[in-house]
Amino acid sequence: MNFQIEGLRAWAPGLESEDDWRAWCNAPVVVPDDQQQPDVSFLPAMQRRRLSRLARMLFHVAWPLAEGQGPLPLVFASRHGETPRTLAILSELAKDEPLSPTQFSLSVHNAIIGLWSILREDTSEMTAMAATGDGLEQAMLEASGLLAEGAPAVLLVIAEELPPDLYTPYIDDVPFSYALALLLKPGKTWTLSLAPAESGLPAAWPHPLNLLRALYGGQPTLIHYWKDRQWIWSRNEA
Amino acid sequence: MSDLQLEIKNLIIDALGLEDMSADDIGAEQTLFGEGLGLDSVDALELGLAIQKRFGIKIDAEAKDTRKHFANVASLAAFVSAQKAA
Repeated sequence: MNFQIEGLRAWAPGLESEDDWRAWCNAPVVVPDDQQQPDVSFLPAMQRRRLSRLARMLFHVAWPLAEGQGPLPLVFASRHGETPRTLAILSELAKDEPLSPTQFSLSVHNAIIGLWSILREDTSEMTAMAATGDGLEQAMLEASGLLAEGAPAVLLVIAEELPPDLYTPYIDDVPFSYALALLLKPGKTWTLSLAPAESGLPAAWPHPLNLLRALYGGQPTLIHYWKDRQWIWSRNEA
Repeated sequence: MSDLQLEIKNLIIDALGLEDMSADDIGAEQTLFGEGLGLDSVDALELGLAIQKRFGIKIDAEAKDTRKHFANVASLAAFVSAQKAA
């Protein structure tokens, strides 16, 4: 599949600007996650009140890219989604307490894109998906389908939040909270292809962070192995 | 403003996540839902739950007076006082 990456924005605790990310990409480390909240002050307080930290991460990276684009289909990918909300609900259940209607209604995987659609007043096709290590590439496949169907642009957001302490022993694929948004348009500056793989070393960082390193580092190709799949990202000469 | 009214205002702010707001921003007679403060039906359920938990009272969502009790902070305070006394 071919496409153009028209814009990108990323957020992680302490990594806000492009310069922050370039520095991180040169010397990647696990950044401390002190539950910092990304800025979403462009939304009125009444609209912010139901946004979880994960939702704020999506809004923070995606909103500026969506401005001026007109109706914009969205593909949102997250393996763990609103795990903190689910844990809060389960904790209430365990105590035989009544459940918070807000937590309950916003705990499903597509709640964030629902809020996005409402707050942006955009009824374009939007998809929420959950996938494991190659969620980024699976989301790219979905986005490419939308572009092939004629969408002039597609927004792709992939985000993960550091899990609550209780889940730490079981979740090993989120070194710190992060979100990446890509504004994709039809074009041929990038090609992503899939090939079978016998074996291959898993990436050092989650694929979205690895892709950022390739983008900022001007790397011409990037290969991501996951299970029996080999995803090959290649930058084409303009 | 009574202590109970203040407590209810703070409960509204905390339970509904109204960041950037303080008790002074909510008038005792200000309409809470739709017009006025602009709360919606999910807020109504959340606030009903918060009031039941905080004050240990029961609210019948089907009762026709419930809507009146939730009109504003003053009516809620009167309702909570009456229920606690009952």
